[in-house]
Amino acid sequence: MNSRFLFSLLCAGGLWAQHSETALTNPFRTPDDRARGGAFFRSQCASCHGIDGKGGASGPNLAAGNFRHASNDEGLFRVITKGVAGTSMPGFSMNGREIWQIVAFIRGLNTGRAAGATPGDARAGEQLFQSNRCLQCHWLNGAGSSLGLDLSSVATRLTAIELRQALIDPSAEVAPEYWIWTAVTKDGQKLRGSRFNEDTFSLQILDSAGRLRSVAKADLREQTLDRRSPMPSFKDKLSETQLNDLVSYLNTLQGAAK
Amino acid sequence: MKPALLFLAVAALSAQDANWTTYHGNHSSTHHSTLTQITPQNAKDLELKWTFQAQSLEKFETTPLVVDGVMYITEAPNTVVAIDAVTGREFWIYEHKNPDVTYPCCGKVNRGLAIHNKTLYMGTLDGKLVAVDAITGQLRWETVVADYRKGYALTHAPLVIKDKVLIGTAGGELGIRGYLAAYDAKTGSEIWRFRTIPEPGEPGNETWGNGSWKYGGGPIWLTGSYDPRLNLTYWGIGNAGPDWNAKVRPGDNLYTSSVVALDADTGKLKWHFQFTPHDEWDWDAVQTPVLVDRVWRGLPRKLMLWANRNGYFYLLDRTTGEFLQGTPFVKLDWSKGLDDKGRPIRNPGKSPSPQGTVIYPGVQGGTNWFAPSYSPKTDLFYLNVWDDYSSIYFAWDQDYEQGKWYAGGGIKADVQSTRRDRLARRHPDSGYGAVRALNPSTGAKVWEYKMTDVSDGGIVTTAGNVLFTGNREGNFFALDATNGKLLWNIYLGGQTAASPVTYLVNGKQRVSIAVGHTLYTFGLRE
Repeated sequence: MNSRFLFSLLCAGGLWAQHSETALTNPFRTPDDRARGGAFFRSQCASCHGIDGKGGASGPNLAAGNFRHASNDEGLFRVITKGVAGTSMPGFSMNGREIWQIVAFIRGLNTGRAAGATPGDARAGEQLFQSNRCLQCHWLNGAGSSLGLDLSSVATRLTAIELRQALIDPSAEVAPEYWIWTAVTKDGQKLRGSRFNEDTFSLQILDSAGRLRSVAKADLREQTLDRRSPMPSFKDKLSETQLNDLVSYLNTLQGAAK
Repeated sequence: MKPALLFLAVAALSAQDANWTTYHGNHSSTHHSTLTQITPQNAKDLELKWTFQAQSLEKFETTPLVVDGVMYITEAPNTVVAIDAVTGREFWIYEHKNPDVTYPCCGKVNRGLAIHNKTLYMGTLDGKLVAVDAITGQLRWETVVADYRKGYALTHAPLVIKDKVLIGTAGGELGIRGYLAAYDAKTGSEIWRFRTIPEPGEPGNETWGNGSWKYGGGPIWLTGSYDPRLNLTYWGIGNAGPDWNAKVRPGDNLYTSSVVALDADTGKLKWHFQFTPHDEWDWDAVQTPVLVDRVWRGLPRKLMLWANRNGYFYLLDRTTGEFLQGTPFVKLDWSKGLDDKGRPIRNPGKSPSPQGTVIYPGVQGGTNWFAPSYSPKTDLFYLNVWDDYSSIYFAWDQDYEQGKWYAGGGIKADVQSTRRDRLARRHPDSGYGAVRALNPSTGAKVWEYKMTDVSDGGIVTTAGNVLFTGNREGNFFALDATNGKLLWNIYLGGQTAASPVTYLVNGKQRVSIAVGHTLYTFGLRE
């Protein structure tokens, strides 16, 4: 028995509760481990999380690189073995090595996202980011506005190709939560903002003044959702070189170091 | 009827309806109460009386029992609590210890209890049936129903018929071969067992090609009904396994996605009706068998009303199992309709596939396990529907391994299987939920109360013509059962995944519902 395997069995065998000060890292991360983890993922996890890991009917997206119930490999191991209370996620009784291999596979779903071809100059792109006043709407590492997407770790979620597409044709694929909501109240007041949440009786919005507020549907005369993005297209505003530069800069935005 | 007899009948009804003594409220599973204190006129005066905070953070799917001022609930996974129904204070707690790893498919849940002769009965995730003294909370006996290490789990409330306790086995995603079993209520010894998948030599086994019957699923995870005059008990049987890679199990796959009628004394099959032959979509027939005596086409009939996960509403003769009527109640595209025997006529190209196939309804179906209701006052059938909603169904090859997930595919859907995300992240074209009232003879919609999100909540109606239900949004509300108008609403901030119950305490009508991780009890302002 090699030492890595012994270690994994100990982890699965109940000594797990004795937390050390530093998080455990995955001892099984070779390409072969990832491949085996992929096979386990396909048979045991894909029914809920999707065969590509991007989420299914009852399991969240695991390919974005961040996880609701885990912040590191140790956390992923814990979630797979113990499950998540109050959700459909059960604890799995696989051996430790198999679970670490699934962790390796899940981690691999996100690698390479930021590694797309970026032929531009990131420093020039950062200047374009400033001169085009992107922070009027976007948030970046503690500054800017909350109206648009938080770009602090955008490179972990979108590939270079997707970033470029978002700059050229921002309305091509806008997530529903970013659609612009407008309404007129029964007393004639006009409202505009982003729809954060909704139920049968009310809406929770971020209004155009940057305030969070609830609106009763019974008070509205009409309401509409504009499925276009409020972000302008940069297709004709930036040259091909400038677009490459800006994408290269955005591709450096990996979030705070952990 | 002579006046004295009339009085006796009324007194007997009152004693029965002051309590809520079975999971479905009565053996006919109508989720209807004859209580009348809460009305469409005074429902606006409902107020909170007490809450009970569960310690468990698992989904709270319990439907309480209430017997003479004492409420009995389960907390997930397998804890029984006796509560003073007047104040909400607990009398005692019984906790069943499960092993670290058990195999429920979809959360460590439990849906409730049965009570008989001052004894409570609960199924456990490690495959046991336990009997607990309803006065003291002490264990009376426990018996092993199924080997949990093979993927079996017990999640539904047992059903007591005469001196027997009936319980079935979950595990349709883990390659089980399901069954319903009856146990002596006093001793826990097994009396009969009905296998939901026939073995070689039994009728129906020929509907399983390639030896696929061995791990074919057929789980039971919702309480059945009982007709004492026919002495038949009715149970909905769950999906075939593997769920989505159906090519490995050619044939109709009896008795999965069916209702079975069993002799309550022997467990022998009297009849069956299969809603979804060769189910490829995980459309368990795990809905409530609602037993109603009413006139159909000019003649009094013993009927069964069934809104199925596959999107059709069915009317069956519960004496013989004869198919009488079937109508879609939500958008569906997997079938062109039903033939004169009630067998669905399949649309080609609507099978799960490696690349994914969009199919209506989605995997949770047009409705699911949450209880519908039938009111004899309005002669309407009420249910929570998921409409205009689809999933992308995937299929892939998978070998059976004991204790491992055995679904042979996966699902993508905008509407998730449990509440998790803000509604604004969902595409508005991805479907909606509604409380709907159907004409039981035709399945035609009489009214609907449309909601923004879907519901996993059951429904209870009363002779006061009030309907209670909750939804995923966190709202718990009352509708006028005659027209669907909103009477009262309260935001409770958590998902409803249980049925409300209504009963009397100290002569006052109460309504209780598990929402989020709290049990709430409401009554009229006094």
